[in-house]
Amino acid sequence: MDVESYVVSNSVTLGLVLACVWVARVVGREPIWRDAARQLWSRRRLAIVVVALYMTIGLVDSIAWKGGIPEDVVDVLPNAPLTLLDRAFLGTKEASYSAPFASVEFYGAEALKRPGQHPFGTDILGRDVLYLSLKGARVALLIGGLTSLIAIPLALIFGVGAGYFGGRFDDFVFFLISTLASIPGLLLLIALIMAMGRGTLSVCIALGVTSWVGFCRLTRAETLKLRELDYVSAARALGVPELRIVIRHILPNLAHLIVITFVLMFSGLVLSEAVLAWLGIGVDGSWGQMIDGARDELSRDPIIWWNLSASGAALFVLILAVNSVGDAIRDVLDPRTLKDSS
Amino acid sequence: MQRRPKAIANSRPSALCSPVMLAKGVIEGLDSRALGAGIRRACLLSLTALTLANFLGCSNDPYPSSQEGEKVLYSSFHEAPRTLDPAKAYNVGAHAITGAVYDTLLKYHFLKRPLELMPGLAVALPERIELADGRILYRFELRSDLLYANDECFELAEPGLRTREVVAADVAFQLFRVADAKVASPVIEPFSNIDGFQEFSQALTARREAEPTFGERPIREQYAAIGGVSGIVTPSRHVLEITLHRAYPQIKYWFAMEFATPVPWEAVTYYDGEEGRQRFDDHPVGTGPYILTEYDKQARYVLESSPNWYGIRHPEWQAPSAIFPSVGDEEDRLSGRLDYAGRSLPFINRVEVHREKENIPRFNKFLQGYYDASGIIKESFDKVVQEDALSPEMLERGVSLGKSVALDVFYIGFNLDDDVVGRLGGERSRKLRQAMSLVIDVEEYTRIFLNGRGVPAQSPIPPGIYGYRPDYDNPYTRVDLEQAKVLMTEAGYPNGIDPKTGEALRLTFDSYDTSTAGMTQVRFYTSAWKQIGIDVRIEATNYNQFHEKQRNGAYQVFQSGWVADYPDPENFLFLLWSEMGKSKFGGPNASNFSNATYDALFVSMKARENGPERMAEIREMIEILEVERPWIELFHREDYSLYHGWVRNVKPMGISTPTYQYRDLDPALRAANRLEWNEPIIWPAIVMLVLAVLVVLPGIRTYLQERQ
Amino acid sequence: MGAYIIRRLIYGVGVVIGVLFLLFILFFTVTEPDDIARRALGDKVPPEVIEQWKVNHGYDRPLWPWQDWDENLLFDHYRRMLTFDFGLSDADDSPIIDRIRAGMGPSLSLTIPLLVLGILIGIPLSLLVAFFRETYIDRMGVFLCVLAMSVSIILYIVGAQYLIGKVLRWYPISGFNADLLMLPRFLVLPIIVGLLSGIGGDVRFYRTVFLEESSRDFVRTARAKGASEPRIMTHHVLRNALIPILTRVVLAIPFLFTGALLLEAFFGIPGLGSMTFDAIQANDFATLRTMVFIGALSFVLGQIATDISYGFVDPRVRFE
Repeated sequence: MDVESYVVSNSVTLGLVLACVWVARVVGREPIWRDAARQLWSRRRLAIVVVALYMTIGLVDSIAWKGGIPEDVVDVLPNAPLTLLDRAFLGTKEASYSAPFASVEFYGAEALKRPGQHPFGTDILGRDVLYLSLKGARVALLIGGLTSLIAIPLALIFGVGAGYFGGRFDDFVFFLISTLASIPGLLLLIALIMAMGRGTLSVCIALGVTSWVGFCRLTRAETLKLRELDYVSAARALGVPELRIVIRHILPNLAHLIVITFVLMFSGLVLSEAVLAWLGIGVDGSWGQMIDGARDELSRDPIIWWNLSASGAALFVLILAVNSVGDAIRDVLDPRTLKDSS
Repeated sequence: MQRRPKAIANSRPSALCSPVMLAKGVIEGLDSRALGAGIRRACLLSLTALTLANFLGCSNDPYPSSQEGEKVLYSSFHEAPRTLDPAKAYNVGAHAITGAVYDTLLKYHFLKRPLELMPGLAVALPERIELADGRILYRFELRSDLLYANDECFELAEPGLRTREVVAADVAFQLFRVADAKVASPVIEPFSNIDGFQEFSQALTARREAEPTFGERPIREQYAAIGGVSGIVTPSRHVLEITLHRAYPQIKYWFAMEFATPVPWEAVTYYDGEEGRQRFDDHPVGTGPYILTEYDKQARYVLESSPNWYGIRHPEWQAPSAIFPSVGDEEDRLSGRLDYAGRSLPFINRVEVHREKENIPRFNKFLQGYYDASGIIKESFDKVVQEDALSPEMLERGVSLGKSVALDVFYIGFNLDDDVVGRLGGERSRKLRQAMSLVIDVEEYTRIFLNGRGVPAQSPIPPGIYGYRPDYDNPYTRVDLEQAKVLMTEAGYPNGIDPKTGEALRLTFDSYDTSTAGMTQVRFYTSAWKQIGIDVRIEATNYNQFHEKQRNGAYQVFQSGWVADYPDPENFLFLLWSEMGKSKFGGPNASNFSNATYDALFVSMKARENGPERMAEIREMIEILEVERPWIELFHREDYSLYHGWVRNVKPMGISTPTYQYRDLDPALRAANRLEWNEPIIWPAIVMLVLAVLVVLPGIRTYLQERQ
Repeated sequence: MGAYIIRRLIYGVGVVIGVLFLLFILFFTVTEPDDIARRALGDKVPPEVIEQWKVNHGYDRPLWPWQDWDENLLFDHYRRMLTFDFGLSDADDSPIIDRIRAGMGPSLSLTIPLLVLGILIGIPLSLLVAFFRETYIDRMGVFLCVLAMSVSIILYIVGAQYLIGKVLRWYPISGFNADLLMLPRFLVLPIIVGLLSGIGGDVRFYRTVFLEESSRDFVRTARAKGASEPRIMTHHVLRNALIPILTRVVLAIPFLFTGALLLEAFFGIPGLGSMTFDAIQANDFATLRTMVFIGALSFVLGQIATDISYGFVDPRVRFE
């Protein structure tokens, strides 16, 4: 049966929100994490607010349903699912839009209109740039999030497995990592995407495959260390099942690494996508694609700057905020860096 | 937390690093211990900076100053052609080189429009003789005393001259190469009208398979052993006779293309890519007005005029293709082109073509005066052209504008093998196609994406081609939303609702242009179809997957275009001939259109010379297309080209053939203009420097305070 | 130590073989020779020509050894890559090795200055920032680093071309000329962009390294013993910091390769990156797999060299 994509999107969103609530509760119970969170908040208030804002926008753009569209809106297919964000922007067409097709202005609004009635102007197809920039938030979060969801479990399974069990499996994982790591990242990305075909999912998979290697190496090394700790050896001597040891003793000790890597990886992924977009193999609707499209408009005369600035700024602000939060998280969670930089 | 960093801050920092050292050396200059090293480093650094500044010398001139004042034409290319072998080269980029290096038996008149053939290497246009058995013979006579360009593949003819006379057998040799399956020429099909062409090709392949050593013999011997093509004979040194087994008047156009140019067998044998020799694909040896003297596929290529060209060696011949034509239209007279009438070609001795991957840098360099001519990129169109004429700014710079309709057609195609939009759906699908056709506003499309540089197409045939009717207005290329909605209802999709699913009718649009710009263009169509309630999803795949789909017939709607090989309607109408079907035969008929009446008319039209019967047949074919709608005809491109005031004699041909030999330029004016347009703006550098100092100074103060 | 080097080399060979297998999977089984041929020859070409082209390019064989032991693409792929017989480009039939030879010069003329300047500017800057720690310079420095890292390289390129090339007219917007006098003016813009996009991460990294090293116990011990500060810095801090620096430089080799891909393509420098970019656009799989192979090979070699040189730089590293 063909499951509508908006149903999937809605359920995934719901799942993510629930997961976040659960994580928050777990974090709230542990004093160490609670302390870290408090410290983080006191250090990077603005950046956290910015990230939260982006996430809210992404969330608003992830909840979609059908119907409820006013009769006079022609730009939308009958029966198409629209997100909250789409709905919020339904009313912002040009005034002349009430008489559509009288003089067909690209089936709607006017192309490349300066900022004014549209806060950030319109693009070459007469779409509102603010709206498109906001829509990009969801795509960026999707790229960063989905990829991390692919890369981190992969890295954990292989890294912890190799570090904990050692032997042949370790050799194999180490070989796999070395092989993947020795191929220049961008080339590997391109090769994978060209092989799998275009699309959000394959871009995310390719990004995942290229980005799990570093983290896997880290978890492997860390697990090797943890395995030799007294209480782990003791647990093993007591006959506690291996899987239980891994889950109870190893993974919790990797948690801070996971958090740090996730945040730091995120910005790299979104920036990589911008490069891919330029190569024509990016994700639809991403800021990278917008920048790529707007790049050419820059040489128009009079110059069309709002397109590039809006998408560029949206990308830049998110990355800056995430990087800055990531730095702070590392400072708070990783004692080694902590020592140096307070 | 330990506060260990103080250890560093308090420690003596003199050895910490060079910038600190430098700061100390420069600002204090007194610290005895660091003094020596500091000064040394400061000196070294300033020396490097000086050399660098000197070396980098702020200039945006991409050419060495030694070329200033020379008659060098500067142009650009996007991507190096795959091959320069005249039997294979089949795109605009390659023809820009092969067309200059290889001369052809026939040429197009530089000024006359519509295009008209005239003799090139041949003494006259070919004689057409109908043989008793119905076959048709074309008799070409080559000029005598034509020489190839100097090249090391030839024996020494006289001191310093490695060349040889051009003979008719060289043209025959080249045609044999086209037939040779190993060469993999893309134009076997049209030449198959020559008697014995296919047979030769098959015999050659069979012999090679049967006798492995045969394929290693010199290529000329191989062709001779097979006995050549029966329909290509050279009764004398300079006469070439081509016999066709069926009427194919278009054959003469192929003799104006490099597929049928004289090619020396020596070059093909010599340039085999072995032992450091180049491949024939990269080293053309021809009879044309220019020689390719430098060929770096990544960076640039250079054409220099060939002293062996007959126009230079024999100006007294007054050969029509070697002197500037004296017949032209009013515009030619006004622009001063006709002032050149009767002068010997060429005027420019060196053409430098630089690689430019990106449009915008290329166009900017044109504006800076570093390229002599350019198309107009859409982004800068409004700056350059206002109300269909050059903007005042451009006029002030002395730029001129040339316009011409290209011999091409762009269209949205339906795959007629599909059950929703295709033949199987019968009347219902036809109505759907008609409705979809009625909402595409081509004028708006060209306005947005081409700055209006396109003539809305009414049929596949563009203006300038026989069979184009200026008065013809295709009722389905108009925009009529109401009618489209009526047709949708009649087709069984009221308001676009597919009764099977109860939702909007869903179609897929396959596109292999995955660039952002390409996607935007496709979205233009899909939002048009949205108006009649059709949900067209874009499937942007890469080129491979697109072709895979086309071959498997797994596609519905797509966009495509065709650029003419030669100015004849057959070259457009064959795109819908069932024998050219994409999915079945791998031909260019990507719509898989198959209509018995159309096919019959096509076959008959193809064999006819231009005349009322042919016109009537073309008309009837177009009427079939009008109703059947295998295509939504979009537009024929209009080429706008800009050239600077110092360039003369630019006239677009609408067909891919270079015309460097006709051009001329005024290097002094160019040098003066470049100087005026490219003065660098220096003050931001100074501002930046001051800012940098302002940022650093407080740091140094802090440091000094800490020291005390 | 000899045994270690040999083991390390053998492992390197293993990695290269693994890379080649991955390439085979991606470029032979996922994308089929038919598609490659069709793309290379274009739309107007009849099927016979496609078949002939496949023969010319050696694509007309079965894929796997179990289909045909003597004539299969897998063994062929290994044999050709390992003997540097890269064959013909899928896009224009030219020998790939020639193009690599031609592209090497322009590439290196961009990447070597970029790498050297990156180190020459990055290390002093980071020492400066580390030196002024706790002051506004440190905070601003780190903030500027994060700022510089957060801008997409594409924005840098577009900005530099527009501002410096078009508006200020300092340097050519793009292009290349191997002539020594002409070369610098073409390289300035790409080098500026390359430095800007890389400097943030570099400085931040080096700063951490220096801070870490200069607060170690042995540095304090040396200082307590009264060793002169220059001696401490050169003999202890810098020497110990060399390992992470070296590692970073080796990691930068493939980065230069890919980073140069964008710079070369945008600024029209006819190097290996540009060639790779063209190969992507033209679906030239033969060139693409060659470039991936060369990139991986250079990385593996660089890593082996680093691993071995660790021993000379840092006595703590034992060859196990």
